[in-house]
Amino acid sequence: MQKVFNNKMAIFLFVFPGILLFSLTFLVPIVLSAYYSFRDTLSPGTPSAFIGFANYTELLFHDSRFWLALRNAVLLGLGFILIQHPIAIFFAIMLDRLGGKAEKWFRTIFFIPCVISVVVISKMWLSLLDPTFGAFNKMLDSLGLGFLKHAWLGDSSTALISMLFILIWAGFGWGLLFYYAGLKGIPDDLYEAASLDGASGFRLHWRITVPLLSPVITVQITLAMITALKQMETVFLTTNGGPGDSTQFLAVYLYNKAFSASQYGYANAISILFIIVCLLATYLSNKLTRSDATEF
Amino acid sequence: MVMNSKSTRNILLVTALAAVSVLSACGGGNDKNNNAGSSTNGGTTGSADKEVTLRLFSNLPDRKSGQGLAEQMVIDNYIKANPNVKIDIETLAEEPFKNKLKAYMASNESLDVTMVHGGAELNTLVQAGYVKELNPAEYEGDTYKFLPGVYKSFTFNDKLYGLPRNSDYEVIYYNKKLFDDNGIKIPTTYAELLEAGKQFRAKGIEPMSMNGKDLWSFAAFFQDLVVRLTGDQNLMLDAVAKKKNFTEDENFLAAAKLLAEARDTKLFQESFMTADYGASQNLFTQGRAAMWYMGSWEAGMATNDKLPEDFRNNVNVLKFPVVEGGKGKDTDLLAWNGGGYSLVSSSKHPEEAKKFFDYMMSADQWAKIVWDTGAAVPAQKYELSGKESELQKQLTEVLTGATSTAGSIALDSGTPKFKDDAQNAFGKFFAGGSTPQQLLADLQKAAETQ
Repeated sequence: MQKVFNNKMAIFLFVFPGILLFSLTFLVPIVLSAYYSFRDTLSPGTPSAFIGFANYTELLFHDSRFWLALRNAVLLGLGFILIQHPIAIFFAIMLDRLGGKAEKWFRTIFFIPCVISVVVISKMWLSLLDPTFGAFNKMLDSLGLGFLKHAWLGDSSTALISMLFILIWAGFGWGLLFYYAGLKGIPDDLYEAASLDGASGFRLHWRITVPLLSPVITVQITLAMITALKQMETVFLTTNGGPGDSTQFLAVYLYNKAFSASQYGYANAISILFIIVCLLATYLSNKLTRSDATEF
Repeated sequence: MVMNSKSTRNILLVTALAAVSVLSACGGGNDKNNNAGSSTNGGTTGSADKEVTLRLFSNLPDRKSGQGLAEQMVIDNYIKANPNVKIDIETLAEEPFKNKLKAYMASNESLDVTMVHGGAELNTLVQAGYVKELNPAEYEGDTYKFLPGVYKSFTFNDKLYGLPRNSDYEVIYYNKKLFDDNGIKIPTTYAELLEAGKQFRAKGIEPMSMNGKDLWSFAAFFQDLVVRLTGDQNLMLDAVAKKKNFTEDENFLAAAKLLAEARDTKLFQESFMTADYGASQNLFTQGRAAMWYMGSWEAGMATNDKLPEDFRNNVNVLKFPVVEGGKGKDTDLLAWNGGGYSLVSSSKHPEEAKKFFDYMMSADQWAKIVWDTGAAVPAQKYELSGKESELQKQLTEVLTGATSTAGSIALDSGTPKFKDDAQNAFGKFFAGGSTPQQLLADLQKAAETQ
């Protein structure tokens, strides 16, 4: 077998299909996208003119919707990191302590939203949050909180927060699973030793669990930022960026520009900026959360 | 494991070949599909006896009722008369249809005939050279009987690129029972409409259902108001064409203020900004909203046996009410021709395709069938069959009684970018509560940067 790996031809043959696929599905589209982003194309194949950086200057300096979409993505990312993840860690710890059958049961229950199709989730929340027949408002009513009733997704003042809520809810299971798996990797004797030293409850977890989970947290934060940036399906299916522009996200905006407004070149410029923003976000979140690997 | 390098190389080569053949199999499959049509006729067209398969792309997935059924009946008739022709029909619902048509345009897919939306969307296809120019002279006369002025949304730079299949115009459908039971007057003026809205709201009934998520209905509503105020069908179209200014003409401001009144008195249902077409229709057809602002293409509601009988017996049509002090009459109709068919340039059977297209557009096919089945109001002259539903009769009255028509909906008279920006301006206005002045400024900007 060693010979095989020394053979350049063999290496090439092994690697070539992968490179080919990667190029065809990844590199070529990106290069084409960059090409179209410098043109005023209506859609591929239509006559177009080279317009230099016009699409980019328009986007960066005149397009408030682009910045709004970016802001919403950042808000969503922060929502994931500051709301979803702490809750996920908390539940992961609880789950870990539960043990036995109950642990398995709850693990499954928490993970259910993640195995349901995004379309179903979107339609479900659209119904739940409907102001006339939605269960959510009815529940508020029956709790005597009728004054809080709202057209949750239909009102621009609450649409974004409702959207964040749905996304945080839907992604909760994944976060939980990651942290839970991380927790399982922490040896029990560390906790035993700490409790012998008198640590307990919150302190125990703050001093031991959180630092030992930090590699998982790092990965999770990066993933959260990426997930937030590329958010598309749920938004597209529930509000399509509306009402007004209140739940505009980059991917939805890009889609609408390309396929509704027939500004294909412009949409490609958005997609190129989109890639840059994603790379930046990954780089930054890695940089900010990098800590020395904890040994135990 | 020890292998000599020769056999290793052989194994690897076989693997690689297998991989390559898997990849190429995908391509091969496509080729097969593409050739399926042409192989049956060997590339010759026009010969009457040769087997030909034509490809039709349509936005009417429901083939059992309404316009889909009508389209299918036309096709069946044609196949019966031309047994050598097969028609391969692909249908998708509205939004997926639009997207796939763009993909087809981009790849220059060889469809023969396609459904098109007039105005902004057809414009994109025209610019890409995807659809064929037609000669309007061929469609004059008694075989076709097109109504005057129906080519407007299908004409670009004085060239015709498609034929309309329906006359579309905005009306207000209303549920007579809800008005009668609650003792509310059927509105004939805008103030009465708003007043009726308040009364319905007080009784816990949604006054008017609106597909706010789709946004375009707002633009039509606004255009209706502008016409009622000025009596001028062209004012708004001129503003889109930059011959007038949204922010300078005080009629626009007056109309925008009236629009704000509808918003602020909650004329539309509570969740109108999240309601898409289907949701707004359901609310109305289930008798939970008293009115529905929608187009004539919903004539089939009265005969659709999937809807409650109680509703079918009570659905009626109302002309958009006049505005007090406005110069417009209630017979100024916001009418245009939205949907239609075009011939595709990359067709592999251009002559056969044209033959089928002409057959479909002749007055005794599509036009007659949609009218007889109550599916829509055609863009061609049609004779009453005597079996029309009450709703169809009312709709006919609205159309035949019209003293002026718009020819195009303003939203579709600009570029797709204008449409998107303008819709967004209305979205902002209704959801974010921007002022009438802001709405007009946004519309002006949309017109200028289209």
